[in-house]
Formats: sequence, C-alpha cells, structure tokens
Amino acid sequence: MRRSVFIASLMATAVMGLSGFVAEHKSFAASAQEKPASTAEVKIDNFVFGPAAITVPVGTTVTWINRDDIPHTVVSTEKVFKSKVLDTDEKFSYTFTKAGEYPYFCSIHPKMTGKVVVQ
Amino acid sequence: MNPFDIRAALLAKHAQHVVLIHFPIALFIAGVILDFLAQKTKKRAFAEAAYYNLLGAAISAVPVVVTGLLAWQFQLEGQKLKGILLLHLVFGCTSAILIWIAWGLHVRARRRLAEKLPVFRLGLETLAVAIIAFTGHLGGFLTGVNGSS
Repeated sequence: MRRSVFIASLMATAVMGLSGFVAEHKSFAASAQEKPASTAEVKIDNFVFGPAAITVPVGTTVTWINRDDIPHTVVSTEKVFKSKVLDTDEKFSYTFTKAGEYPYFCSIHPKMTGKVVVQ
Repeated sequence: MNPFDIRAALLAKHAQHVVLIHFPIALFIAGVILDFLAQKTKKRAFAEAAYYNLLGAAISAVPVVVTGLLAWQFQLEGQKLKGILLLHLVFGCTSAILIWIAWGLHVRARRRLAEKLPVFRLGLETLAVAIIAFTGHLGGFLTGVNGSS
C-alpha cells in the first residue's frame, strides 16, 4: 500500500512537472513569436525631423516618413545610410545593427539635422 | 556660420546657386522693362540700358546653371529627379536658354546697325519673365522661402 502510494505520488509529481515544463515551453515559444520586431518612426514635417534625436536598441529599424510638401533626403553624416529624394508620404527605412551615434541631415536642406542613438 | 566668413560662405554646400540666382533674375527683369520702355519711347538710352542689363543677365546665368547642375550632381548624386525638383531643373534650363536667346537677338541687331530689333522679342522676353518667375517660385518652395506647411 505504502509502495503504491509512493509510486502514485511520484507519477503525479512527474506529470505535474512535465505539464509545467510543456506549459512553460509553450509560453516561451509564444512569447518569442509574439515579440514584435523593434521599429521606430521619424516624421519629416515643416523642415524638421521629429523627433530630432531618438534612442533605440540594436536591431531597430528606423523609418523616416516625409509628411512635408517639399522633397527631403535622409543622409548619414558618416555615410552609413542614404535615402533617395523622398517626396510627400514617401518612406525610407534603415536597420541599425551596431551601437553608436548616427547623426544625419537632409542634403537638400543641410540645416535640417537629426540623430539616432543606438544602444 | 559667420556671415562675414568669406571662406565658409564660398565653401558652403549648395549655397552658391541660391545666392547667385538673384543676379540674372533681377538683371533680366530690369532689362525687359527697359526694352519695353525703349520700344515705346524710342529713346536710345533705354535701349542701351536694356542691352547691358540683358548682357549682365546672360553672363550671370552661366554660373547659376553650373552651380545648379553641380548641386544636383553632388548633393543628390545625380539621381533621377521627379516632382518639384524635376520641374525646377527643366524650367531653370528653359529660363537660361530664353535669356541667352533674348540677349542674342539684341547682339545680332547691334552688330547689324541697319537691322531693327524684331518686335517678337518682346513676346519672347515676356514669356521668359513668366518662366523665370515660375522657376524662382519652385526654387523658393524647395528652399522653404516660399512657404512651408
């Protein structure tokens, strides 16, 4: 009797442990699937990059969207990235894979500047 | 930038085209007004003044075209233009050609002393002024002078 109780409790423990592991594995897999890719957006409007400076984690894709009536460009000061001329509502994206500071400007209007800080 | 720092002003990227463009615009418009006055009053002084203003416009249009094309090549790396930039390029080149044609008509008449200036030049000069005004408006819009949203 005592032996069968011991075996039963052992099996129950094993089942609970197994079910717990499976549940945890499922939730881990789900969280890995649900975790969205990191993105950030910079709007260009009224001759200003907004926000002028953003801080993002490594691997973030930053998208610049031109909401101005005037064409603009997004050009890295250190020649890391460079967009074509962006007309109204056109976008440019770049994924930052290395930490650092990335200053940029509009080559048509060099007074327009911004910075992406990747951590 | 210090406005009195000549070196910085001359080496500023894309600054020259925006500065130089005022000279042919002002000289050409003044030349056309004087040419109309010369036509109306038949006074030689107006015709002379018109000639030299048009000469100044034709000469000053050269560096404007060159710096505009250089800005396209260096600032935008010669990429295919569209929209306002393309319109500005096309109408800018058209304006320069019309300025040179108008000046050429005056030069030809001057060399052939017996030849009168053709009256159609006034229509051509008026058309040129209209195209220059439109080009200037587009340029001002691009630089933000003519308004932002």
